[in-house]
Amino acid sequence: MHIVVTIKPVIDPNTPSVLLKIGKDGVTLELPAGMSQIMNGYDANAVEAALALKDKHGGTVTVLSVGDETSKNCLRRAIGMGADRGVHIAGPTGLACDSSLIAKLLGAAVGKLGFVDLVLCGRQASDTDAAQVPFLLAGELGLPVISPVKNIQGVDDDSAVVDRIGEGCTQRLQVKLPALLGISNEINKPRPAPLKGVMLAKKAEIPTWTHSDLGIEAPQPAMTLRRLYIEPPVETRAELIAAESARAAGRALADRLRQEGKI
Amino acid sequence: MPKILVIGAISEGNLTGTSLEAVTATLELAEAMGAEVFGGLIGDECARAAARFAAAGLSEVFVADHARHAPYVAEFHVAAAQAIVRRCQPDVILAPSTSETSEWMPILSGRLDAAMASACTRVGFEGDHLLATRPVCGGAVQGEYVLKGGLRIVTLAPAAYEAATLSEPCPISLVELPDVQARVTVVEQLNDQVGSGPPLRTARTVVSGGLGIGNRENWSLIEDAAAALGAAVGATRAVVELGWVPHAQQVGFSGQKISPELYLAVGISGAVHHMAGLAGAKTIVAINKDPEASIFRTAHFGVVGDAKEVVPAFIARVKELRAQQA
Repeated sequence: MHIVVTIKPVIDPNTPSVLLKIGKDGVTLELPAGMSQIMNGYDANAVEAALALKDKHGGTVTVLSVGDETSKNCLRRAIGMGADRGVHIAGPTGLACDSSLIAKLLGAAVGKLGFVDLVLCGRQASDTDAAQVPFLLAGELGLPVISPVKNIQGVDDDSAVVDRIGEGCTQRLQVKLPALLGISNEINKPRPAPLKGVMLAKKAEIPTWTHSDLGIEAPQPAMTLRRLYIEPPVETRAELIAAESARAAGRALADRLRQEGKI
Repeated sequence: MPKILVIGAISEGNLTGTSLEAVTATLELAEAMGAEVFGGLIGDECARAAARFAAAGLSEVFVADHARHAPYVAEFHVAAAQAIVRRCQPDVILAPSTSETSEWMPILSGRLDAAMASACTRVGFEGDHLLATRPVCGGAVQGEYVLKGGLRIVTLAPAAYEAATLSEPCPISLVELPDVQARVTVVEQLNDQVGSGPPLRTARTVVSGGLGIGNRENWSLIEDAAAALGAAVGATRAVVELGWVPHAQQVGFSGQKISPELYLAVGISGAVHHMAGLAGAKTIVAINKDPEASIFRTAHFGVVGDAKEVVPAFIARVKELRAQQA
């Protein structure tokens, strides 16, 4: 079984918002000093899901990442976790990158890899939260797609049964393979890379493929980022309900909300 | 004359409120573009929803009504949307962002080679450019994107626009659907356990808890307060990650985006990520023992105090007031 996983480097989503600064060009974020980009969390879940399938059924796991040199660090983390090989694809990353362009590069790269049983993507990248690449990539490859997936119930030679997070429901769906799945964080807890894996990953050779290596014209974006801005929060200054004790304040709050016709 | 197609969403047979919000965005955009506005609806036995949609100020509503649209499977919705697009020939498609449009709309955009911006809070037209604003980095930063020409698709975050008002109905046309073999089939569909209260997404009153309530045992405070108010129960991401409550109850940027009349935030600090789910909340009440919590800067009413003391007294008084009323 050959599983391909796509990963993106992102700014750590736990970065306190006060540390986020917009660069002079107006379309990039300046990383706070001492911070580097990390593997998108949902993508780490996708790597883990691929490795769990490999543990069970055997096979190989290939990780792909479009971006700059930072992509290679993320690919090394995935290799450290147990992925067999990584390929870096030269292209844009960050908030300005366009989903259709990324999907075209990834689609050509998957084509170059040859036969694939399953493609796993994180359901979305936590920087843009656009959640489009999995679907557009499936379109490029002509594969059926399901997202967001919170459980892979089973995989056999020609189909998979998975649980999709629906509108107030869980859908158990069967899909023909090869297929693409958008993986959500409920599915698993990514394994830490063992020391041996980290050593292996350090030495792993990670080729860089450009669009010419992939035999395609440089894809053009369908959407461009014009500017980023930070909106000052709307300050209302709460009317504080004060009383002699916390209990009295609780009662006074109920009275005040009744007076306002809210309860 | 350019055309804008707004595709509505249906929940349990009814047109969603977010569909009427999308109509407002569409009518504003149509004014800026000098465009004509059409509606599209995909569902199973959706006559009631279609009748409502037809009264929202549109020129004509195209309906793809078929048993294969429920339970939802992306490939059938994509095929239906393609049939509607062939009839309508729009320049722009707008729709509310739901867990369903989040799946089938990008598939459609790929098939039609259309630029797409998802879960936007604003859409505008300037020169020849369609501009879409959407929150990035968990809602801490806003990004303004330009969508290149040809067909363009924008989905809208809940509560970004007011719902359109209803007036005289427009004509409704049924759309012929092609035969499609779906490669995905539904084995079974299980409704999420949501407790006894109203559904979180549409509840008028929501009581939410965060880490500030102290520990998992105190979660009953949140549930008791919700029961007393007839409210839905919500939670912060931190609480969900600790496993105190299921993900379906998470309010915030990566959870549910809600617009209740009254939102009671208990032990919630007010991080950007959480507040991004509350853009449509009318009145926010904060109970928090930390007077410096940022939620006191965006709430309308606040009590500085320990939730373990404040909330039981609040519940008792709510019950008294309710009893007096009865």
